[in-house]
Amino acid sequence: MTQTQVVAGVGLPPPPEVLLEVRNLKTYFHVMDGTVPAVDGVSFSLKRGETLGIVGESGSGKSVTALTIMRLLDIPPAEIVDGEVWFDGKELLSMPSEDMRHVRGNDVAMIFQEPLTSLNPVFTIGDQIAEQVATHRKVKRQEAWDRAIEALKLVGIPSPERRVKQYPYEMSGGMRQRVMIAMALSCEPKLLIADEPTTALDVTIQAQILELLKEIQDRTDSALLLITHDLGVVAEMVENVVVMYAGQIVEEGTADQVLVSPRAPYTMGLLSSIPSVHKRGDRLSVIKGVVPSPFNLPPACRFEPRCPYAWDLCRRQPPELIAAGGRGQRARCLLHTPAGDSRRAQAFDMRSEDAAPPADDGAPVGPPA
Amino acid sequence: MSTTRTSAGDASGAGVVVRRRLLKRPPEGIRKARSLLTSIAVYQVISVAVPVFAILLTAVSGGFELGSFLAQAIPLAVAIAFQLAIAWLCIRIGRAFRTRRPQARYAGLALIAVLLVFGALNVWAATTGRLTDAVASGAGLTAFVWYLLGMPAGWHLLRGGRWFTGERESVAAAIVDRSSSQDLKPGVTPSGNGAEPLVTVEGLKKHFPILGGLLRRQLATIYAVDGVDFEIYPGEIFSLVGESGCGKTTLGRTLLQLIPPTSGRVVFDGSELADVDPDEMRPLRRRMQIIFQDPFGSLNPRMPVSDIIGEGLLAQGITSRRERDRKVEDALEIVGLRREYTRRYPHEFSGGQRQRIGIARALALNPDFVVCDEPVSALDVSIQSQILNLLLDLRRDLNLTYLFITHNLSVVQYFSDRVAVMYLGKIAELGGVEELYKNPRHPYTVALLSAIPNPNPRVRRKRLVLRGDVPSPAAPPTGCRFHTRCWLRERLGNPENCVTDDPPLREVAPGHQAACHWAEQVTSGAVAEAAAHVSALDTAVALEDE
Repeated sequence: MTQTQVVAGVGLPPPPEVLLEVRNLKTYFHVMDGTVPAVDGVSFSLKRGETLGIVGESGSGKSVTALTIMRLLDIPPAEIVDGEVWFDGKELLSMPSEDMRHVRGNDVAMIFQEPLTSLNPVFTIGDQIAEQVATHRKVKRQEAWDRAIEALKLVGIPSPERRVKQYPYEMSGGMRQRVMIAMALSCEPKLLIADEPTTALDVTIQAQILELLKEIQDRTDSALLLITHDLGVVAEMVENVVVMYAGQIVEEGTADQVLVSPRAPYTMGLLSSIPSVHKRGDRLSVIKGVVPSPFNLPPACRFEPRCPYAWDLCRRQPPELIAAGGRGQRARCLLHTPAGDSRRAQAFDMRSEDAAPPADDGAPVGPPA
Repeated sequence: MSTTRTSAGDASGAGVVVRRRLLKRPPEGIRKARSLLTSIAVYQVISVAVPVFAILLTAVSGGFELGSFLAQAIPLAVAIAFQLAIAWLCIRIGRAFRTRRPQARYAGLALIAVLLVFGALNVWAATTGRLTDAVASGAGLTAFVWYLLGMPAGWHLLRGGRWFTGERESVAAAIVDRSSSQDLKPGVTPSGNGAEPLVTVEGLKKHFPILGGLLRRQLATIYAVDGVDFEIYPGEIFSLVGESGCGKTTLGRTLLQLIPPTSGRVVFDGSELADVDPDEMRPLRRRMQIIFQDPFGSLNPRMPVSDIIGEGLLAQGITSRRERDRKVEDALEIVGLRREYTRRYPHEFSGGQRQRIGIARALALNPDFVVCDEPVSALDVSIQSQILNLLLDLRRDLNLTYLFITHNLSVVQYFSDRVAVMYLGKIAELGGVEELYKNPRHPYTVALLSAIPNPNPRVRRKRLVLRGDVPSPAAPPTGCRFHTRCWLRERLGNPENCVTDDPPLREVAPGHQAACHWAEQVTSGAVAEAAAHVSALDTAVALEDE
C-alpha cells in the first residue's frame, strides 16, 4: 500500500511474552500549514492476552497510533519519523509491505468506529468476511463461507446462515458492529485493535457490544488494544491504561491507579470534569482553555497553559514520563521530579484514594500569575 | 454580565409587561384563500414589467417626440397603477381575514368577482382583435392567472363562512416581555408546587408518512412522537432522555412548532401554539429558542458571526445595523467570547467556541425558554463541562427554563431537575432526577441506568444488558412498546396484558410516573437476579424474534 520506511538502527526484540511493543513512535503529518506531530514519542507494551486502553480527547493522537501500528497511513502526508513497533517478535515498520499484508487482518485485526462506513455496501457481509479468510488462509470458497458463518455465530448473531447473505444496510447499528467484530475475529488474531468501537452506538447497544468484547476476549485469549475517549468504557474493559494528550503519553498505569488516583494534572482534570451525581448543584470543575494547536505547541510541557499547578519551570523544562504514585504508574509532570517536591503535596494530598472529587473553588482554575 | 443584559433589555422596552390578546389561527380554507390572493399579488407585481418595458420601447423607438410618447405612455401608466392597486388590495384583504370581521369576507369575494369580470373583458378584448398581438397574449395570460387562482380562493371563502360568523373567542394568550418572569428569584428552582407551568404538552403526536411507490403513495407511518404529556415549570431544567430514534428531537421541534404537530396541544405561557395566527407567532418565537446539537452543521459557513446571531434579531424587526451589532456583541460577551469576534467566520472557531456561538444565537433574543438539543454530545469531555457550566450560569443569571434533550444519562443526573425517559415515541417514566435515578420503576429505565459505564474501576457490578435493538417506529410493538425487550416480563412469566394493553403513565410515587403494568415488581432484588441471567451472546435478538 505505502512505501516501506526502513527505520535505521532497529533495536533488540522484546522478550517473547510481550506481544506488542511500541518504542518511541513518532508520526508526523506534513500539511500545507506546517508539520503536525500527531504522535510524538509514544512507547508502550502489551503482553499476550492482556488488555490496554488508550484514552484521550479528539486530536490527541490515539487513532493515529493505531493506524501507524497497522501501517494504514498514507505516506506522504504522514511520515513515520522515528520509532519501532515490535509485534510477536517482528518489527512491523521495517517489514516489506508484502509481509505486512499477512500480518494485517490475520495476526492483528482492527474494529473501526463507524460500522456503516467501514463495511462495503455492495457486498453481502458473508462475501466480506469470506474474502478476508480467503486472503489469509489457503481455503476453498465454500470453506471460507462456512468460517464466515462460524464467526457470526461466535458474536451471537442469530440465524447466521440467513444473515450471512444480507447486506450491511439490512442490519441495525449494533448488528453491524457485531459483524465488524466477527470479521476481525475470523482469522483468530493475536491482537485486536478496537478504535472507538461503541462511540456511534446507543447506551443499551454499547452495553451489549462491551459485554460481547469482554466475553470474546476471555474465550479466545487474544490481546485487546482499546482506543476510546470514554473513561467509563476504559474502567470497565481494560487492565492497563495509557492517557494521551497532544501526541504524547501523559500518564500510564493500571486502570485502578490511573482512574482512582491519577498523577498527571491532565488526567485529574479529565476525571473531575465528568458530570456525576455527587457533583450535583456545584459547578463542574473544568480544564480551562482548549487543546493547543498542533502547529503551535507549548515549548516545554504541552499541558502547561491549561494546568492549574504549572509554575515557571514548566515553561522551560520539557517533562519526562517518570515514576509517580503506585507501582508501575508513570506520569509526565515536573511535580514528580525533585523540583516539584514542595508543590506536590498541595496538588495531590487533597485527592484521597477513594476518588473523591477535588475541592472545587467554583471558578475555572487559573495558573498562578 | 448582568449589566449588559439589562441595557439590552431596556432597549427592547423591558420593564413594562405588554400583554395583549393574540389573534387565532384561521382554519385551513381561509389560509388557502389568503395565500391564493397573495399569489395573485405576486403575479401582478411581476407582470408590471410588461408595461414598463413597453413604455421604454416607445421612448427609444423611432425618435423621441413628447406628444406621441405621452399618448402611448399614459394608458400604460394607468395599466401599471391598476396592476399595483390589485396587488395591494389582494394583500390587504388577505390580511384582513385574520380579524374575522364579515366585511373582510365580503371585500374578498367582491375583489375576486371584479377580477373574474375583468378577466372576461380581457379575453373578449383579446379575441375580438382590439389589441395588438403582444398585448393580447399578456391580457390572456393575466385572465388565465386570475381564473386559476381567483376561483379556488373564492370557493374557499364561500365555504369558510363560519370563520367570520362563528363564536369569536381569541386565543387566551398574551405576548409578554421577559420581565413577566422576573418575580422568580434568580437561582431558585421551583419544584413545580403551585407554580403555573411555562410549557404544557398534552397528547402531542407527530407522525411522518413514508411515501413511495407509484405516485408517491403513503406506504406506512412513522410514529415518531405518539401521545406525550408533560409540564415544564418556569426556571426548571427538564430533561428528555432516550436512545436515538425514540423521538426526543422530533418532540423538541414539534413543541416549538418548527414542525407542525399531527395532533395534540402545546400551551406556552397560556397560549395554545397550534391556535395562534402565523403572523402572531413571531413575537412568541422570540421567547422560545433552540440550541442545536451539531456545532459544525448548524452554523452557516458563509456567514460571519454577526450575521449568524443577528439573523434572528433581524427577523424580529431590529433593522438598525448598529443596534443589531451591539446586541450581537452583548450576546457574545454573555457566552464568554470576545466582542471582537463578530466579523469572523465559523471555521475560525473550535467546537466548543462554535457551540457558544449557537448559544449566543439563542440568547440574543432574550428568550424565556430554550430547547437544548444535545448541546454537548459532539464535544470532548473537558469542553463539555465548560458548556454545561455556562448553561447553568445562564439559567441563574437570565431566569431561563431549559428543555434539555440528550442521550447522556450522567449529564442528566448532574444537570437537571426533572427527567422524562422516552422509548419509541412515548414517555416510559417521568420524575424528579434524584428519585428516578435512585428508584427507577420502569424496566427500561433500569436497563438504561445499568448500561452507563462507570469511570471508577473499583465499582464493579453485573450489568443488566437488554436484548435486541429498538424496534422500528414504523411498526411499534402492540401493548407496551417495550415488551419485546423487557427483562421483567420474562421474569414474570410473560403476562398477557403487556402484549395487549398499552400501559398508561401512572403515578407510582408523588411526582413520579411510570408507564408499566408491573412497576411495583421493579425492585433491586429482581434487577440483580435478572442481570445474573443474561449472557452477552444472547443479547442480539429481542424476545419475540424467534
